[in-house]
Amino acid sequence: MGSGRKHVPAAGLGLLVAAGIAVAALSPDDQAQAPNFEVDPFWPKPLPGNWLLGSVMGVAVDARDHVFVVHRMDSFNARTETGATSDPPIAECCASAPAVLEFDPEGNLAGSWGGPGQGYTWPAENHGIAVDPQGNIWIGGSGGTDTHLLKFARDGRFIAEVGRVASGGAAAGAGGGAGGDTATAGRAGRGGRGGRGRGRGAAPALPAASTSTDAFGGATRVSFDAGAGEAFVADGARNRRVAVVDINTGAIKRFWGAYGERPQDGDQTAYAPGGTPARQFGNPVACAQVSSDGMVYVCDRSNDRIQVFRTDGTFVTEKAILPRTLGDGSVWDIALSRDPQQRFLYVADGMNMKVHILDRQSLDVLATFGTGGRQPGQFSAVHSIAVDSNGNVYTGEAFEGKRVQRFNYRGMGPVTQANRGVLWPDTAR
Amino acid sequence: MTRRNAVLAGALVTGIAGLWAGQAALEAAAMDQQVRAPVFEVDPFWPKPLPNGWVIGMTIGLGIDARDHVYVVHRQNTVNAQRDGGASADPPISECCSAAPPVLEFDPEGNLVNSWGGPGEGFTWPTSNHGIAIDHKDNIWIGGNGAGDSHVLKFTRDGRLLMQIGTPGQPTNSQSLTSFGRVAKIAFDVNANEAYFADGYSNRRVAVVDMDNGQVKRFWGAYGNAPDDTPTPGYDPDAPLIQQFRTPVHCAEPSSDGLVYVCDRPNDRIQVFRTDGTFVREVRIAPRTLGDGSVWDIAFSRDPEQTHLYLADGKNERIYVIQRNTLEILTEFGSGGRQPGQFFGVHSIATDSRGNLFTTETYEGRRLQKFVYKGMGMVARKQGVVWPGR
Repeated sequence: MGSGRKHVPAAGLGLLVAAGIAVAALSPDDQAQAPNFEVDPFWPKPLPGNWLLGSVMGVAVDARDHVFVVHRMDSFNARTETGATSDPPIAECCASAPAVLEFDPEGNLAGSWGGPGQGYTWPAENHGIAVDPQGNIWIGGSGGTDTHLLKFARDGRFIAEVGRVASGGAAAGAGGGAGGDTATAGRAGRGGRGGRGRGRGAAPALPAASTSTDAFGGATRVSFDAGAGEAFVADGARNRRVAVVDINTGAIKRFWGAYGERPQDGDQTAYAPGGTPARQFGNPVACAQVSSDGMVYVCDRSNDRIQVFRTDGTFVTEKAILPRTLGDGSVWDIALSRDPQQRFLYVADGMNMKVHILDRQSLDVLATFGTGGRQPGQFSAVHSIAVDSNGNVYTGEAFEGKRVQRFNYRGMGPVTQANRGVLWPDTAR
Repeated sequence: MTRRNAVLAGALVTGIAGLWAGQAALEAAAMDQQVRAPVFEVDPFWPKPLPNGWVIGMTIGLGIDARDHVYVVHRQNTVNAQRDGGASADPPISECCSAAPPVLEFDPEGNLVNSWGGPGEGFTWPTSNHGIAIDHKDNIWIGGNGAGDSHVLKFTRDGRLLMQIGTPGQPTNSQSLTSFGRVAKIAFDVNANEAYFADGYSNRRVAVVDMDNGQVKRFWGAYGNAPDDTPTPGYDPDAPLIQQFRTPVHCAEPSSDGLVYVCDRPNDRIQVFRTDGTFVREVRIAPRTLGDGSVWDIAFSRDPEQTHLYLADGKNERIYVIQRNTLEILTEFGSGGRQPGQFFGVHSIATDSRGNLFTTETYEGRRLQKFVYKGMGMVARKQGVVWPGR
């Protein structure tokens, strides 16, 4: 950018810098190193066809560093956003993009597909996307009637349904459920507006069934252990467990709840900071990410905590993240860094509008980045996170965020500021 | 899906694909045409992030002062306390964020240098603030389009009230000399010491006001007719043009050569007048646009002749660059979306002394963007996003 950008920050910014220094001073290890990033405001390229991205519910990267995104085609306001698809059209702008978008590393749209089709039941509310070791794409669903995942070839050719499909779902005419994001479930006194759902013909939600061996309860996310041939399903929007699935047969092999205990579906008490930690996961169980050394990191979103397990379900440890967070909770999604040791965890926190960088061994929060807002490097409900082979980080924003952003990896460096704010180029600060 | 439905769906998809191919060919042809026009490039890192964990809501007004400071007015009450405004919930539910004060002032580098606004002693803050304008004495005028907003407020630039113009709480009356009908925007003819009110969301007129005493000096409706508040049927692109403005009358911008450009938003047209209200001409913009309409806000280029007129279209999500003397659209840029240079409800537009262009977005857009003026040059008729290195 131009040379006229080096300016004395405003007084208010000075306060923030001071706060950052204060936090850094409390850091347990002054020599801590963490990855540096810089937001790329021009990735991806604008979509063709007057297409818009809706609430982004999943982001994943394949072996070619192509980025797959799943978003909600029913998350638009017809009056203000999708005027081109009104009957009659009210404007040239805009129309929803197809549910699944594939971008090449340069940010060009390389593929688009998804939505109801023949031979399978598209989720009432798609949620989460992941690329398995064979390069196939798995998509979950958090809607009230969603009890399965879908597996597609990367060009959208249907391969399998994983989990018994309940009646309902998008193909049965729900056309998008009422719930919006998953966090509306089980959160007493939350008072949210229930996402973007407009209640169009949504079937009543099914009950939770966290001990089912053939169906899921709103599977939100999946990750893979290639060596074991297993998929780890965050289950989910209604269920309160991690379910481990055979990648090839889709059979549920084992499952567990918080602390490795048997999951129970009774009433949940609302999360209270400082209260006794719940013995069960809250809803939604938002991620279950397996590491290369056989650990599983679970997003217990509404309980503001990460729980760590061995792949057999043995509880190892837990870590609270900003435990005063109410509403939708702080632990929305996790990605592992791509160095051989997977030294870092990146935690998307869509309530505090930031990404936490954790040392994976100690689970110490080394730094955070992002602030609330609509500018590059800011977030509105950062929901999903993924990393490519070069260490670049991708985020997806739900609700009205409706963006995918890329943060270019800029090497390792000492943590000089625990709260990094927006990761803009030095020339723009 | 039955076989018949599948066949129908297939035919529909093929038909849509065919239409799109045709559209793409037309657009490609349009892209090939180059035209000489002001060239802009979006600056993704302007303004700087707000301090104090502040976020902005629907950003509904934009003005620039003589020092090239940029003022916006936004709606605090549109920040959802369960979502982007969690820090202001009771109890707080997150560290992020809270609504910034309604009026924000940025210096040319994008630093926030002042913030104020909201209800105060001795005046009625609008129930739904709308439009902000800075006069030649650096005083700040704010309208409102909510229930009971039949007045305009005039402040010093640091937020001290100078004058409340018009009586709050009055009903629609396009003949009134003492109140307004939800004023959308204010602009100035400083030589005549007159303010032009786009009046408004319930009235259907341009009202000209003495800048010092706030007296209504004259007013007029579409084509210079006497305004008539009788409800009008919905806009039909194929019907004869109606003889009244539709609500909202969304801007009324006097030029340096004594013309006034009026945004007749849901009628998809600009009407041009002399400052005495004599109708001069009109031009329709994207006339098939329904809903909110296509003509949202107008700014002039800053050359002495004000050669170009910039028109914000928050329905089709783009900016038109218009030759002012012919009203011909030279080029357009922008598209729908959340990335830099894209728009969601692009609502307000203004230029600074260097020719840079600024926009704000309402609804869920909620941004202030800067487009750096890069001089005159050859550009495509349809530019899409104006990113660097295109």
